[in-house]
Amino acid sequence: MTTGAIIATVIMWAIFIGGLSFCLSRLGRGGEWKE
Amino acid sequence: MAQLTRDRWTGRVPFIFAAIGSAIGLGNVWRFPYLTYEYGGGAFLIPWIIGLIILGIPWMMMEFGMGRFFQRSAPGVFEGIGKKWEWLGWWPVFVAFLIVTYYTVVIAWALHYVVSSFSVAWGIGEAGAKGAAPFFFEKVLNLSSGPEVLGGLQWPLVAGLAFAWIVLFFIMFRGARAIGRVSIWLVCIPWLLLIILLIRGLTLPGAIDGLNYYLTPDLNALRNIDVWFGAFSQIAFTLSLGMAGMFAYGSFVAKKADVTNNALITSFSNCATSFFAGFAVFSTVGFIMQALNIPVGEVSVASVGLAFVSYPVAISMMPGANAVVGVIFFLCLFLLGTTSAYFLAYGGVISPIMDKFGLSRVKATSIVCVIAFLIGLIFTTRGGLYWGPDILDRAVSFYGLLITGALSCIVVGWVFGAKKVREHLNETSDIKIGAWWDWMIKIVVPAGLLFVVIYGGFMKDIAEPYGGYPLWAASMIWVILVVTLILSFVLQAVKTRTPQGGE
Repeated sequence: MTTGAIIATVIMWAIFIGGLSFCLSRLGRGGEWKE
Repeated sequence: MAQLTRDRWTGRVPFIFAAIGSAIGLGNVWRFPYLTYEYGGGAFLIPWIIGLIILGIPWMMMEFGMGRFFQRSAPGVFEGIGKKWEWLGWWPVFVAFLIVTYYTVVIAWALHYVVSSFSVAWGIGEAGAKGAAPFFFEKVLNLSSGPEVLGGLQWPLVAGLAFAWIVLFFIMFRGARAIGRVSIWLVCIPWLLLIILLIRGLTLPGAIDGLNYYLTPDLNALRNIDVWFGAFSQIAFTLSLGMAGMFAYGSFVAKKADVTNNALITSFSNCATSFFAGFAVFSTVGFIMQALNIPVGEVSVASVGLAFVSYPVAISMMPGANAVVGVIFFLCLFLLGTTSAYFLAYGGVISPIMDKFGLSRVKATSIVCVIAFLIGLIFTTRGGLYWGPDILDRAVSFYGLLITGALSCIVVGWVFGAKKVREHLNETSDIKIGAWWDWMIKIVVPAGLLFVVIYGGFMKDIAEPYGGYPLWAASMIWVILVVTLILSFVLQAVKTRTPQGGE
């Protein structure tokens, strides 16, 4: 793969994995699911 | 009969998977990878991520939040804001209904190909590569010469359509509880199938060349306004917003449960799936280029052409396991389409009807499934491709979705009050949002959506008839929009038979 394609791949997965990890780390800090 | 208890998700995981399933659809496989390749490769990802943050995520939080606040589907939400706004909840209901009528026909095509793949009915080797396009257009669709010639029903497609609606009925008639549980499977299985397709794609010769076309960035493309239009439009379409369904899905959430974190998880998961699907698609495109010794410009890399012509070509040329790959790919399309279809039908149409008329779930589901199936028959005719996935798609999935989305944000932001929604969201959500969100809903999201609809829609379709169709056929786009708007006002005038469940 070209260097640009590799950089784009790494950055995008960093955003997705980082974003989802952040969201999952916050689970349960706010709402309650049982009424 | 009044609805006494609100439909509810059985927990957080089923809700998240149902929302992800609604967002992930055929567009993740056949639209996003093509746009990335077309609009600057890796550079396209910059406006796409910006669009996700400033348009998609705030918009999704709004739809989830308003649904939860009023504990009603879209029409009930806008009726709750003020009786005179109820039509704005019905308009996207018509959008969702019309989309699902032809979306299920595309699912029927995928089913046809699942069956055809067992014998690779379009042929193997170079004969199959040459036969893939005629097989689709002449045998499966038996495509007519234009939209003026509808021709007869294509019975294998009618059977596929009937099967799709039977499956959808059995998923939907038990409501959100069943939808949530089913969604966990129907989201995870396509993910697994995409991984298999990626592995197969990467092991084919030419795969890396395809990935280079997909992702090598051309930063100069960022100066082109078309690139920003493409990115914002993709974000608007991919998250299944503006189709009424997310209001309903939000209304099935318990009043004390989180909304904002779920919106973020749904958005990130959907976009990660798009990005991942691009690897599976373009590794295969690279293989086609090498196998047939043709440039990328001669390969159909988008929409129907990618799924039902290029991919079958690749399947024909593969050195082994042709039938297995074919079944996996089209089964993946069928499942991706199914999760979006029941979102459109249940969240977008059935739930609003139940709220408005107090019908039982079984009765409302039966009525919607039968009527949608009957309308869908039009798109199983020889001229169906022109009308359903093209002209009707332009009317509702482009104009309808974007216009209702922009108007919804304006009414919620300025009439109901964005701050009020934000405070409601922050009361119980895992992630608190700041005052920036108010301005996103009031100005940025509507402006972004209107930019897409004016630049990519009105400016082109007024200059010349959409898609090169005759003027009378292209004009149906405006007829559909006006008729659905009028019907929305008619439904507003009808008395709501269930009590308002808002706070």
